[in-house]
Amino acid sequence: MTVSALIIAAVFVVVFALFAFYDVVTSRRRKVKYRIWTAMTAYLMLLPAIVLAFLFVLLPILYSLGYAFTDYYLLKPNNISYIGFENFKQVFQEIAGRGTLYHALINTTEFVVGVVPLQIGLALALALFVNKTYKSAKVFKVCFFAPVVISLSVTSFLWLQILSPSEKGLLNSLLGVLGVKPRDWLRDPATAMPCIIVLSAWQGCGYQMLIVLSGLSNIQQNLYEAASLDGAGAWHKFTAVTWPGLRSTFVYIIITVFIGACRILTQPMLMTGYQDHTVTLSYYMYQQGYTYRWVGYSSAVALLMTIVIGTITLIQRRVFREKD
Amino acid sequence: MVNKLYEYLPNAERKGISPKKAIGRIVYIVIGVILSLLFLFPIVYMLATSTKSESAYAASAGSIAMFFPDFADLGEAAKNYGNVFANYGIWRYAINSFLYAAAVIASNILVNGLAGYVMAKLNFPGKRFLSFMIIFLIVVPVETSIIPLYSIVKIMLGLKNTASVLGVILPATISIFNIFLFTQFFENIPQGYEEAARIDGANTLVVFFKIILPLSKSIVATVAVFCFIGVWNDYLWPSMILPYAQEGQWPLYPIQSALTTIQSIQGITTGEIMASLIVTSIPIFIIYVLAQKYIVQGFGTAGLKM
Amino acid sequence: MKKLVNFLLVLTLACVTTLSVVACGGSATDGESGEVDPATGNTIVKILFHVDEKSTEGQAYKKRIEAFNAAYKDKNIKASATYKARSAGAAGYETELLNNQVSGTLADIITFDAPNTASYANSELLYDITSLVPKDVQDDFFSLNTYGGKLYGLPIQESSAGFYYNKKIFREHGIDVSSYTVENPWTFAQFKDVCKQLKDSGVTAVDMRIDATKDETATYLLYPFIYAAGGEFTSADGYTATGYFNSSKTADGFNFIKSLIEEGYTSYAIGATDFFDGSVGMYLSSGWTIPDLDHKYKAVFASRDDWGLLPYPKSEVAASATGSWSFGITNNHHTDKTAAKELLLWLASTESSEAITTATGMIPARKSVNTDYEQGSPEYTLLKQLETSGRERPVTVAYPTFSTCFNQVVSALGSGDVTSLLNTQANTLQNEMNRLK
Repeated sequence: MTVSALIIAAVFVVVFALFAFYDVVTSRRRKVKYRIWTAMTAYLMLLPAIVLAFLFVLLPILYSLGYAFTDYYLLKPNNISYIGFENFKQVFQEIAGRGTLYHALINTTEFVVGVVPLQIGLALALALFVNKTYKSAKVFKVCFFAPVVISLSVTSFLWLQILSPSEKGLLNSLLGVLGVKPRDWLRDPATAMPCIIVLSAWQGCGYQMLIVLSGLSNIQQNLYEAASLDGAGAWHKFTAVTWPGLRSTFVYIIITVFIGACRILTQPMLMTGYQDHTVTLSYYMYQQGYTYRWVGYSSAVALLMTIVIGTITLIQRRVFREKD
Repeated sequence: MVNKLYEYLPNAERKGISPKKAIGRIVYIVIGVILSLLFLFPIVYMLATSTKSESAYAASAGSIAMFFPDFADLGEAAKNYGNVFANYGIWRYAINSFLYAAAVIASNILVNGLAGYVMAKLNFPGKRFLSFMIIFLIVVPVETSIIPLYSIVKIMLGLKNTASVLGVILPATISIFNIFLFTQFFENIPQGYEEAARIDGANTLVVFFKIILPLSKSIVATVAVFCFIGVWNDYLWPSMILPYAQEGQWPLYPIQSALTTIQSIQGITTGEIMASLIVTSIPIFIIYVLAQKYIVQGFGTAGLKM
Repeated sequence: MKKLVNFLLVLTLACVTTLSVVACGGSATDGESGEVDPATGNTIVKILFHVDEKSTEGQAYKKRIEAFNAAYKDKNIKASATYKARSAGAAGYETELLNNQVSGTLADIITFDAPNTASYANSELLYDITSLVPKDVQDDFFSLNTYGGKLYGLPIQESSAGFYYNKKIFREHGIDVSSYTVENPWTFAQFKDVCKQLKDSGVTAVDMRIDATKDETATYLLYPFIYAAGGEFTSADGYTATGYFNSSKTADGFNFIKSLIEEGYTSYAIGATDFFDGSVGMYLSSGWTIPDLDHKYKAVFASRDDWGLLPYPKSEVAASATGSWSFGITNNHHTDKTAAKELLLWLASTESSEAITTATGMIPARKSVNTDYEQGSPEYTLLKQLETSGRERPVTVAYPTFSTCFNQVVSALGSGDVTSLLNTQANTLQNEMNRLK
């Protein structure tokens, strides 16, 4: 392991040096001037970060991706061999055969499509709600953030009680008053994923609320005053000033919420267990990699997932980025 | 009715709030309270359950009663909270968590702050490559298995027994996202501040510590809060790499790792589990309440442009 | 703002020093496992336990380890124990075990859950102990962890399950179950009849735990119904599921459970605590519920006069749940297993077995342990049931997948057709078995 790590480190340094060299070569054309002393100071200050990032971020990623081309079985860590694209072949067979992976793909898509707008919408609404100077607004701001810091196991357990299929279950008895029949929310394929979407958005929106608030704080007050002078109403102010002012904040939020949503794991795990109608990509990988012990295969799924999500985010960045 | 409500609003008249506005304010508070309850109910539940015996808990589970404490038997609450401290000694793990958090906060801010400063303010060959790597690692989410990280810490670095403490701190020290955050924040600090110092002959490190950091209270607070929440809530990684303490020795586990172990003990009641969860959430809340102003400021100044 | 900088620096230093001091204080210097400690000349045998050291079970192990070290002092063997509790989430004991395997630091003796025998043996994590354990010792165990005809583990203690019932409810509605004893278990039809009487009296009849499909609970408690109906899950070698998992007899077993749902005797909606607040007649659970009923729910179950335990119902045959954790020697790089064998036999001895089960309240693993359970008591029912009808879960390397498939069937029983459910899952399981061949 140490040997392979050293080889990777050497390759990394060489690639890095090549890029640095390229920078120096093209410096005149780019009208940039490098000073040796500044460069040395810079690298000295960067050194701890580079070393740590290499060891604890880059190296695990590279190893994980490397496993995708091996038959790594968790119980046989000393007996790993290279098998080329076998794992990838199996991935595509599983999808084509409408296996669990196929369901995972569909469910994850459903989750992402549902949770991204819902969570961001909630965050925006909450942020606008607490973006006041009232004392009470400060208190509400703390309350809305609460689910972010409470352990997922507690909130999941509570949601299980709320969504209980019993007639006495909280949601069922509430709807019972309105004459709706009790349902088994999490075992019913039609309602399980929507429930998980709602509770995930609820759990996460407090954090995005803070980021929207920071975006709101960047909008200059005189823009609102100018709009008032023009006789703009609240809605017009929102569309003309607030919305454009939040643009870059939204790009950031969309990208991060999207990435987070693609990796959803804990909620389905705690709410329903491994079931075809709620399994997600990350859950599938967890089950394959840990429970069934196919580390190699699981890494292949991870590699493909990384490529897909990465491509989508890069496109998102292109599309949404302000043209500067 | 309106007048009645108006009377209830403290100092309304003195502050010059009109009755119309006062009603708006009251409506605002009512909506806010309802919304807050929608977000606070887990805490209400935890608080209520922490006052119950196992029988009382079983009787209330699944109905609305689970959100109300057992007023009939408040001695049970004292017993639950007492046990959490006396029987399970969670204060020792809390001290550990505070120490881990402090170490991670300090090292995280130093390492990533320095890197962010270099990326924002200095020009050097290879910078474009590093900027690309930073965005790449944030934007492309690689699902890594925890196995290679474990092997790196245990086999390559050989952090065993007590040295495993470093295995908790070091990986938490580096955060690509925080480098990104610091870079964006520092880019918005006007060049003028530094140039003044440089004319006085200060070197880059001195400029960073004496000029830049003091101007960056909000981002430092933001990073500190999220480091704290991260360390305080993490249980998976620490319980994987830390040895479990032998009896009679000071344990190495942080609070959440200890809690998951304690929860698996036969005979612990739901009330005791909830009491321990309440006790361990308090520090996070205090810190969040104190720092939320800075978080908004920090994110705001950084701009978070991807 | 110099203060902030100084504060940060001082903080880092202070923390690093404190932590290293704390850390050094807690360091264990037991030497490497299986090797001779040069200072004392002792051969160290390392053992990894799946419970917290402070738990009653952990304390029982600890006492046995101390006794071993006292007894083997002259023979220069020293046992060194590590405790890693099996806790919720992925951070528990199994992760520790696998991580140790990855990093090559696996202990000489480990504990493991019985269904893991096949995969641990097949991947050579466990060492074949057939020749290390004398025949008479082997015969004294209620069950053994075998795979491919070889012995890989000795059970620490046994478990069995049954139907806890609320005697108050039964008395109140005049339901008599006194004739259904472990020697003469009730039939599926009689079981259903009791359910009907309970339902007719307006009581939720039975919590079959069909909602507990997120972990091993439902599998462990419900698989005996399929065996009782004459069904099977896999072939004897554990590599064929098609034709077993979806056989008509297996379907009969699942259909019985499904009929309980359809006729309104049980449902997914029964809460985990409903039996304990006195609103459910019967509750399917393992022996570990005995101490809970004795101590935790005084309001409803004041004494053993208020609750009892009934065996599993039988159909074609009688079958009941078994299986617990076992000791096994690992195949780590130490070739000399003599010291490990001594410790294994010590921990699996009648004396140790008795000491451990006295502390945990579970059923002893060895027949020679003296048990003075009163006839008809819950403990007696469990022990006798284990002797007469205990049947282990299928031995297959694909066990984790089996467990998932079983859970998926149980979870969909309420709405789906049993035959098509079983066909789908048999297919999934067979695919995994082919992959493992």
